[in-house]
Amino acid sequence: MTATLERVDVVRAAPARGRSRARHRRTVLAFLAPAILGFLLFFGYPLVATIAFSFTKYDLINPPEWIGLENYSYMLADKLFRTAVYNTLWLVVVLTAARVVFALGVASVIARLKSGVGLVRTLCYLPSLAPPVAATLVFFLVMRPNDGPLDAFLGWFGIEGPLWFADPAWSKPGITAVMLWVSGDLMIIILAAILDVPQEQYEAAELDGAGPLRRWWHITLPSISPVLLFGVVNSIILALQLFTQAVVAGSAASGSADVTGNTKILGFPENSTLTFPVWLYTQGFRYFDMGYAAAMATVLFVVSFAATAVLVQRLRKASYQEEGGPGA
Amino acid sequence: MRKVPRAALLCVAAAVSLTACAAGAGKSDPGGLAAAPGKDDKFTLTVWSNYSGREQDEVTKALESFKKKYPNAEIKHEGSQDDDKITAGIRSGNPPDVALSFTTDNIGQFCSSGSFQELKPYVERDKVDLSQIPDAVRSYTEYKGNRCAMPMLSDVYGLYYNKELLGAAGITTPPKTTAELLDFAKRATKKAPDGSIEVAGFLPTMMFYNNRPPIWAPHFGAKWAGPDGKSALASPEWAEMLKFQKELVDFYGYDNLERFRAGLGQEFSADHAFHQQKIAMMIDGEYRTAFLKDQAPQVKFGTAPFPTVRPDLYGAGFTAGTIMGIPKGAKNPGASWELIKHLSFDTETIVTLANGIKNIPSTKAALADPRLEVDENFKTFIDLATGGKLQGNPVTPIGDAHIKAIGDFATSWQAGKVPDLMAGLKEVDQQIDDQVAKSGK
Amino acid sequence: MTAVLDRKPVNWKGALDWVAVHSLGLALGLMFALPIVFVFLTAVMSDNQAFTKDLWPHEWHWGNFVEVFDKAPLLKYLGNSMLYSLLATAGMLLSSIPAAYALAKLRWRGRNAVFLLVVGAMMLPPQVVAVPLYDTWSSLGLTGSLWPLIVPYFLFDAFSIFLLRQFILTIPQSYVDAARVDGCTEFQALVRIIVPMARPGIAATALFCFLYTWNDYFGPLLYTGERPDEWTLSLALSSFKGMHHVQWNLAMAVTLLIMVPAVVLFVFAQRSFVKGITFTGVKG
Repeated sequence: MTATLERVDVVRAAPARGRSRARHRRTVLAFLAPAILGFLLFFGYPLVATIAFSFTKYDLINPPEWIGLENYSYMLADKLFRTAVYNTLWLVVVLTAARVVFALGVASVIARLKSGVGLVRTLCYLPSLAPPVAATLVFFLVMRPNDGPLDAFLGWFGIEGPLWFADPAWSKPGITAVMLWVSGDLMIIILAAILDVPQEQYEAAELDGAGPLRRWWHITLPSISPVLLFGVVNSIILALQLFTQAVVAGSAASGSADVTGNTKILGFPENSTLTFPVWLYTQGFRYFDMGYAAAMATVLFVVSFAATAVLVQRLRKASYQEEGGPGA
Repeated sequence: MRKVPRAALLCVAAAVSLTACAAGAGKSDPGGLAAAPGKDDKFTLTVWSNYSGREQDEVTKALESFKKKYPNAEIKHEGSQDDDKITAGIRSGNPPDVALSFTTDNIGQFCSSGSFQELKPYVERDKVDLSQIPDAVRSYTEYKGNRCAMPMLSDVYGLYYNKELLGAAGITTPPKTTAELLDFAKRATKKAPDGSIEVAGFLPTMMFYNNRPPIWAPHFGAKWAGPDGKSALASPEWAEMLKFQKELVDFYGYDNLERFRAGLGQEFSADHAFHQQKIAMMIDGEYRTAFLKDQAPQVKFGTAPFPTVRPDLYGAGFTAGTIMGIPKGAKNPGASWELIKHLSFDTETIVTLANGIKNIPSTKAALADPRLEVDENFKTFIDLATGGKLQGNPVTPIGDAHIKAIGDFATSWQAGKVPDLMAGLKEVDQQIDDQVAKSGK
Repeated sequence: MTAVLDRKPVNWKGALDWVAVHSLGLALGLMFALPIVFVFLTAVMSDNQAFTKDLWPHEWHWGNFVEVFDKAPLLKYLGNSMLYSLLATAGMLLSSIPAAYALAKLRWRGRNAVFLLVVGAMMLPPQVVAVPLYDTWSSLGLTGSLWPLIVPYFLFDAFSIFLLRQFILTIPQSYVDAARVDGCTEFQALVRIIVPMARPGIAATALFCFLYTWNDYFGPLLYTGERPDEWTLSLALSSFKGMHHVQWNLAMAVTLLIMVPAVVLFVFAQRSFVKGITFTGVKG
């Protein structure tokens, strides 16, 4: 179990002879060759271009014109930049936590089903198959205030539902609800990981008298921790990049939803759905200031990359400690 | 497996660069202005638009009528192309021959960046009479004297009122002044015993449906820029407009109004609140007459110019429309111009298309053409278009940033989150001026 | 019930547990499915009823499912979607499995840094990335086709590499070591041990890749917008939108039709997620 630790490397690599080490290096390189090429072409190049654009005035048509740090200093004056940062941070915190917990919960229930598994799994995954624009609009219908199905349901319990997408305080929770509804992909990933846990580990624990909850906590969770890490990082990225659902929610709330998610109204109501990527897109493609959009993209990239790097290191350490405990 | 696409990639790249060379050999006269094609020349023009479905077919028909002049021309009309796509096409050097854009928001960028080619030399060479085009329509197809686009039909906005709902409140004529609008809106509003709104006389919520600042502004005489070209929203006119909205909002009660509004149906569906008789009056474009006739025949409605703050403004209104331009890098601009000229000025084509997609013609000749199908409600908009008091979109190099800025402000103001109206408007001016300054144009 | 009985003698606690878990599962299934039912109901409504508060169709317009075929060449789009999704998925598997293995089970200096870069590659906003990439594809003359969307999968797909790496990490190292002791090369270890053991993960990753490309809207719009012959199914939605009106009933009918192949694929593919028989044999 501790095999993923780096120090094992040293132990293993040290006695290896030069020739086999070179062969090993060639193997690694061969396995990674397409990825390295693709990484440079489809990530490295756009990254360099984006950073370069961020120091320029660029209207997408005429050659970029060098303006130094002006785009970065404009961020300080840009009120909606702050709004967009807030909205996206809100989503990163709430959406990430809600999505991972929700998907883990649903997957754990499905994993314990003994009949009807296929059906329930399919039903839970169904929403993820819907095109994002359609999925958001359907939720808009379901959560329609006053006479929508959700409000009718809440009405049975004497609760008057909020205005959801029409209320700046509830639009982000509304979007979060949509994202949970379409989180079937993460559920499936977690479910696959749960089912991957070798059965004998459970059997051993059962012999030791561990109940289902304890088994889940001590065996399931540690075993699937790499996949949970994926879930956290993937959800953060999803929240950081949230675009289509926010645009569609805003357009529908302003009464002008369209089937392709194309709208003039961005951020409605009161810019509560103006996420970072939406504002970046608006500046770049609606206001024709690609330089500023590139600066925003650079900031987003640097901050989120640094934060994720720290997070990944932390979580990895934490999971080593857990693995290290009983395994060593 | 990995080699296949790369090999294919190289082959295709080689093939394309060859055809690109061939296509590059376009015609141009010594003055740098592209000559019109010969009458029997064979050529193909690619047109991008954002139309789809039935409307796209109607526009294709209009484009095909170009063959009356150039029998051997071929037109390829590709729908569902938005402005982002047009920009991408231009930037990458593979633009269409003619680009159609739905929004007049981007004309400032199109003209000032050179995305669309300057058309003035063609206009002068061919002695085209631009006064054929109504002033407002002319204003939204140019920027700072650079004419880089021509209009293809327009939309005109006016008042829609529900005759039965107003009649029930004892009102028989549409409001002519904003004071009347306010009064009628209050009287036509119906509330349930618990105080919630059942029918709203008129909805003031900004950015909802067509309640957008540029559509409202003409009726309050509100101007976007001062003589120095800077944003001038901190003006008595804009304040008047916002106070009008606030008074109506306070009449309903903000929370009450929001709850009512949040339950209204989508603009682009048969569930539109006016179709469902949940609002007695609204501002909307001429196209709504067709949808009402088709989807809500039971609604007895009338149309009129939108009420104005002063009687002398009556007949003012907002107009926008589809614009056409020759993108930078177009291969055959001489022929592109001929097609644009045809669509902008050929009366028969314009009238047929206007009848087909229920829009307002964009030349005076077509507006007066007897073949135009005009019913009583549509006539209001034709009259507005010929009345000469319309205003186009305020043209800026920053897309619709200025519209968003004031729209956001109006929303906060209506929600009671703005303590000082004038100070707030000054901030909006600053925000817009900053964005323009940043664009450097 | 039989499942419980098979395993152990009757056990009331177990039975109660069974009922609780299954009611919860059923409730979840219904909750997830209900909005899709609304999509279906909207799809069979008249244009005038769609998107109103009346959620039950006044009349059942089954013809909507036929009408959409008249309005858009859906079969041609289906072919293009298949081409895009199948090639992208195949390419992704070829390029990402070895890369994920190298990141999960091979030891080399800089591995962690490279892994972080892979994760980081997902953090650039696609709207901005599209600007330089579009220009590049255009200079290669490949815009107007699906190749700019397919080719990258044959090289690098950060999401899939990340996901596969995490799945491969859950495979105990002892299996790989055992294979190495038996004299397997890394390639053999990958093909014989890792691929069969990570089958659920690989199947899931392939499925996501397929479905992501299947529902991709902005990619095909950007690269094939001007060539309707190359359009994918997801773009068909734009055929039901006018300047000031959307035919929501037809749009929802197409939405369902777009989902059908994906659902079928999922129903078959999900068997791979069910605990594989693969495990019992391996650990000898």
